[in-house]
Amino acid sequence: METVLRAIADPRRREIMRLVRYEERAAGAIAAHFDVSRPAISQHLAILREAGLVTERREGNRRLYRARPEALTDVRAYIEEFWTDHLARLKTAAEQEGKAR
Amino acid sequence: MNDDEGTFSHEIRIDAPADVVFSYFTDPEKMARWMGIDHKLDPVPGGVFMVDINGKFAAAGEYVEVEPPRRVVFTWGWQGDPDMPPGSTTVEANLTPDGDATILHFVHRGLPPSRQATHADGWLHYLGRLEIAGGGNDPGPDLKAGSDE
Repeated sequence: METVLRAIADPRRREIMRLVRYEERAAGAIAAHFDVSRPAISQHLAILREAGLVTERREGNRRLYRARPEALTDVRAYIEEFWTDHLARLKTAAEQEGKAR
Repeated sequence: MNDDEGTFSHEIRIDAPADVVFSYFTDPEKMARWMGIDHKLDPVPGGVFMVDINGKFAAAGEYVEVEPPRRVVFTWGWQGDPDMPPGSTTVEANLTPDGDATILHFVHRGLPPSRQATHADGWLHYLGRLEIAGGGNDPGPDLKAGSDE
């Protein structure tokens, strides 16, 4: 789950996820939406693929990407991530105050 | 750590007295240090519990038990989310002194079962939730910039 969160922490990768949400798109078509270099987009796609958020399919020398919605549907996993992260912050804040006393 | 699918539980040791830890569940200014950007908290049984997490998602419910400095219980759900509506789940924080520190035993009960997303909008909703979960590493302005379309 941490890989997923890291993967979507980047606004460009979130934008890529939105682009391939309904339809499969080629890497070139995805890159055309951004002002950054094609290799940079390839790297974003690799990170999304490793996190299981997109699938990659080769057709000739094109690579096609599509969102893999199952990766994001586990309510439990997101709640677990949400609380673990926030309770760690609570601990930090309360300990700071505890020390200041 | 987790008894069944609908429950999340987590235990941490916090190096601060129980009354300090307790106040982080009832005082809006303190809650802002660990969760949410806007708060409406009325920490009495039946009182409102509302936390705007990031300007996009808000959690809402009401306080059920408020027993400083040992135990606080409130209901929880997401505004606008039929799967987990406001008040549909229950959060418990149990505080046990341990020397100068406090053991926080945290339980979130009544979570909806895991399931496959049935439509793409549901999927986008989860994406938004995960953005919340990752909020600690996310610069604030980006969250709002994401909703520009």
